[in-house]
Amino acid sequence: MLKARRLGALLAALVLGPGGVAAQAPWRSITIDERLAAAAGLTVGDRAVLATGAGAPGDSVIVAGITRRGADPSEIARSEFRVRLHLDHLQALTGVGDRVGRFAVATAPAAASVDSAAARINALAFGFRAYRAADVAIETSATFRVVNRFHRAIGVITIVASAIFLLCITLLKVDERRRDVGALRLLGISRGTIVRAVVLEAALISVVGSLMGAALGYGASALVNWHYQGVYSTPLRFAIVTPGIVAFATLLSLTLGVVAGLLAAQRLVRQPPLELVGR
Amino acid sequence: MSDTRPSRRSEELVLSARDVRRDYPVAGEPVHAVRGISLDIARGEYVALVGPSGCGKSTLLNLLGAIDRPTSGTITIAGRDISSLSDAEATRFRLTGIGFVFQRFYLMPTLTAAENVQLPMAEAKVPRAEREARTEELLGYVGLAGRSEHRPYQLSGGEQQRVAIARALANRPALLLADEPTGELDARTGAEMIEMFARLNADGATLVVVTHDEELAKAARRVVHLRDGVVVDDAGRAAP
Ligand SMILES: Nc1ncnc2c1ncn2[C@@H]1O[C@H](COP(=O)(O)OP(=O)(O)OP(=O)(O)O)[C@@H](O)[C@H]1O
Ligand SMILES: [Mg+2]
Repeated sequence: MLKARRLGALLAALVLGPGGVAAQAPWRSITIDERLAAAAGLTVGDRAVLATGAGAPGDSVIVAGITRRGADPSEIARSEFRVRLHLDHLQALTGVGDRVGRFAVATAPAAASVDSAAARINALAFGFRAYRAADVAIETSATFRVVNRFHRAIGVITIVASAIFLLCITLLKVDERRRDVGALRLLGISRGTIVRAVVLEAALISVVGSLMGAALGYGASALVNWHYQGVYSTPLRFAIVTPGIVAFATLLSLTLGVVAGLLAAQRLVRQPPLELVGR
Repeated sequence: MSDTRPSRRSEELVLSARDVRRDYPVAGEPVHAVRGISLDIARGEYVALVGPSGCGKSTLLNLLGAIDRPTSGTITIAGRDISSLSDAEATRFRLTGIGFVFQRFYLMPTLTAAENVQLPMAEAKVPRAEREARTEELLGYVGLAGRSEHRPYQLSGGEQQRVAIARALANRPALLLADEPTGELDARTGAEMIEMFARLNADGATLVVVTHDEELAKAARRVVHLRDGVVVDDAGRAAP
């Protein structure tokens, strides 16, 4: 038997439609979310008793549907369950007739625009304020945006650190070639040819490296998403590798690779070839 | 091989050095590595530069090969004064005018034998087809016809040195310079190398070889002895 907790925090859903308020039946129907279904082992058609708290008189209900949560980051950390029931049912159950926090109004697909609907509600209904769902989502995800910025800062630090690392590695790698560069110079290969070859190689390595990094990123974020979507039972994507990110990373590493290659190669070809080969 | 053979053996000078000096500016007393050397080398000559360690052999060879610039004096190779070329001009001259063979081969480790031989030709903008044909010819000449796709680590020291010789001949240089070409090789491979140089010279190449190897020096028709940066003996010199 089910005891739904914290019913006061539940959001009532007002269903509009030709049928109006659902007809009285011996078993009132509710919908529950996936999390609750999984935790309580309920499926559609199951019966349960819904009460406002332990020991409170309950009401027998039938599970009419299981809902999947939207990808709302502000709900990730909340471990609560969600039950949807008809407004009159909620009022009867809680014994509070006029304490509704907010309504969600769904518009039919072909209906007038959400904006004009909201405007009309705001003009007609005193004491109400209508917002578009998207605006509400933005407002409630303020915390998420702070976290997002924090993650971005970590990302930038990572990129800067690996860029310096890449720069140093390239300088070292080119310096490993000092003997070869010296030999080429002795044979009459021009400075320009050597610099071009080094830069081309650095550019190639940078691009291939970034693409390999992007592939790794895709794999890792798929793994992270799979794991945390399971933990929080949400369709929210926690890690995303967008084409924009891949393009940025490739361009950055290409620029750095070319600059590092150019600096390292120019430093080498300026030295006398006999010094480079260490005679 | 027809390419390295001169049209005729003549007294035509390939190299002419006049009062060449090279001082190394070292803190304190500068080192006078080469102190006034004059040397004429005719087309088709085979010259060995010998002398005790530190007498200036490598310094002189580097001057003759436009790797280094003399402190004073002039060096003319194939009619061109190379003693005061800019770095870019000297580089270009080394590419097309001189063939180098070094003690430590200096092959590019990531390139195949054929690619190593092609390298100076590619830099000299020789068309691909010609480059490939000449590479095949040269590798055949040094006895490595079947090894063109092998990389240096897959070749013995003697084979690597033969690739280096093929590479040195790539752009048909007027002069072939070698500094201790048998220095890294065992006696048997060294003897093969000596034969190779003799054959090169017989086929027309003008050779100057710096060596401690008595066998190699004996093979040369002219032996120039250096001591303390000057020529002390020049046996077998072509008639002036
Ligand atoms: N870069 C340099 N700076 C200062 N002194 C140098 C330099 N290169 C050579 N020397 C000096 O010049 C002299 C001649 O050197 P070089 O290398 O020409 O001798 P070498 O005859 O080739 O000797 P080895 O037979 O041992 O190779 C030596 O005293 C050497 O110490
Ligand atoms: Mg030497």
